[in-house]
Amino acid sequence: MQGSTRRVGIMTDIHRRFLQLLMTHGVLEEWEVQRLQNHCFKVHDRNAAVEKLEDFINNINSILESLYIEIKKGITEDDGRPIYALVNLATTSVSKMATDFAENELDLFRKALELIIDSETGFASSTNILNLVDQLKGKKMRKKEAEHVLQKFVQSKWLIEKEGEFTLHGRAILEMEQFIRETYPDAVKMCNICHSLLIRGQSCETCGIRMHLPCVAKYFQSNSEPRCPHCNDYWPHEIPEVFDPEKEREAGVSKSTRKSLRSRQH
Amino acid sequence: MLSKPRGRGRPSPHTDRDRGGGGRGDETPSTSRGPGSAQETPGSSWSLSASAPAPGARTQKQLELKVAELVQFLLIKDQKKIPIKRTDILKHVIGDYRDIYPNLLKLAAERLQYVFGYELVELEPKSNSYILVNTLEPMEDDAEVRGDQGTPTTGLLMIVLGLIFMKGNTITETEVWDFLRRLGVYPTKKHLVFGDPKKLITEDFVRQRYLEYRRIPHTDPVDYELQWGPRTNLETSKMKVLKFVAKIHKQDPKDWPAQYCEALADEEKRARPAINAPASLLNSEMGSEGLGQGSGTQRHRAKE
Repeated sequence: MQGSTRRVGIMTDIHRRFLQLLMTHGVLEEWEVQRLQNHCFKVHDRNAAVEKLEDFINNINSILESLYIEIKKGITEDDGRPIYALVNLATTSVSKMATDFAENELDLFRKALELIIDSETGFASSTNILNLVDQLKGKKMRKKEAEHVLQKFVQSKWLIEKEGEFTLHGRAILEMEQFIRETYPDAVKMCNICHSLLIRGQSCETCGIRMHLPCVAKYFQSNSEPRCPHCNDYWPHEIPEVFDPEKEREAGVSKSTRKSLRSRQH
Repeated sequence: MLSKPRGRGRPSPHTDRDRGGGGRGDETPSTSRGPGSAQETPGSSWSLSASAPAPGARTQKQLELKVAELVQFLLIKDQKKIPIKRTDILKHVIGDYRDIYPNLLKLAAERLQYVFGYELVELEPKSNSYILVNTLEPMEDDAEVRGDQGTPTTGLLMIVLGLIFMKGNTITETEVWDFLRRLGVYPTKKHLVFGDPKKLITEDFVRQRYLEYRRIPHTDPVDYELQWGPRTNLETSKMKVLKFVAKIHKQDPKDWPAQYCEALADEEKRARPAINAPASLLNSEMGSEGLGQGSGTQRHRAKE
């Protein structure tokens, strides 16, 4: 896994600027990464053809390996869009958060994380999280303050909020998957298709196996009779659409177009 | 409910036993610390790896890991633009590897330069505090692809730096506010873009070492003098600031002959590396090899 015989690439100012600017983001969508790469090529070497993104990132990662960090790619749990973040490989803890938040804030996050992992839906209600405020380590925090802290987590993309409930942002999953799997081995859920950490997804009502929404979309794509891959029972949930970056771009042009795309979902 | 055993899952980095630095089982040992030195979680340390065995018995991997920790520590600390103190480095990262601290720092500096394009520089000779200086030129278009919006206050800083230089390298706080008032920036009023300008100028920029802020004795009411701080000389130059001022006035830098001469002289000094190299890591920590004490002149305020 690590210390492989992978050939180490070369850093140029293009890569350095890319890394510097990448580090100003917590997490990026693929189109943003592409835009960043284009910018860096434009600054340093207008005439060079912009390298394929995957190769470009692999090159940088081969050099970052000795620093135990990497540019990691994942997909969001709700609609399967590709995201990127610079993550720590050697730590098993919430390191990047640790520099931006106080001890009691980090503990609040940990409590929310545990509730999320424990839940059936992958969501923890605001009420339940706030009720744990008295148990936090560090300086005493009132519920009102805790509400602000939760919003800070949402703004910095560690948590997502939907109708008063909180779940993990793709960024948190990218950064902390290893930590979560090691720290809560009995409570974590895994996806039957991709075998990685699952916070939100669909589950078979008969045998209980779970799948990420984008994994469901891919697995059952153009399948008129979706059946559970484990027990073969009829899959009772709505099958989402596979994420299509082209459709995304079109949707950006006019909102009405996006509405008509949605209605195509069965 | 949820147990929290310390996993041993990952193959390479955790070759040894428990975390060093006194991290307890469920404390997040790796990097559990509050922001700023005000909050120190007891027993925490910036440790990605096991505690160090006796010197001499360290593996290549452990050394590599230590350098990696140090690089990350320096990057993250520098983000806040507060100079990084040697004591903090020793306490939070180096720990038992103290005996090879200069080597570790040198390796970290090399990595920072090669991988990220940041130079690790000592703020002032013998200050034992460091900053990262960007060796890449900032581009205007960078702002469009950045993820942080830290830039608005830079505008105010540039204005103040320009003011100080144009007025002969030192200015009173009264003069600063007389000038800024004309731009709609007041010490007592919240500003839409800059927030609290007084705090920015007299506290934040000073803490970040962009400015020096000193009380002028025997003044009544009390007045203070403002000058460029050590970080300013490392990150920019008189010529760059003069060009900025000229641009604002839509004029040429040469329209201010006195300042232009001074800026030119400064450029010449910077171009002569033997005497005036910034007190970079390799000079201070590793012992200067004939580069001497000259680096000091760069840090101090240039005379008129």
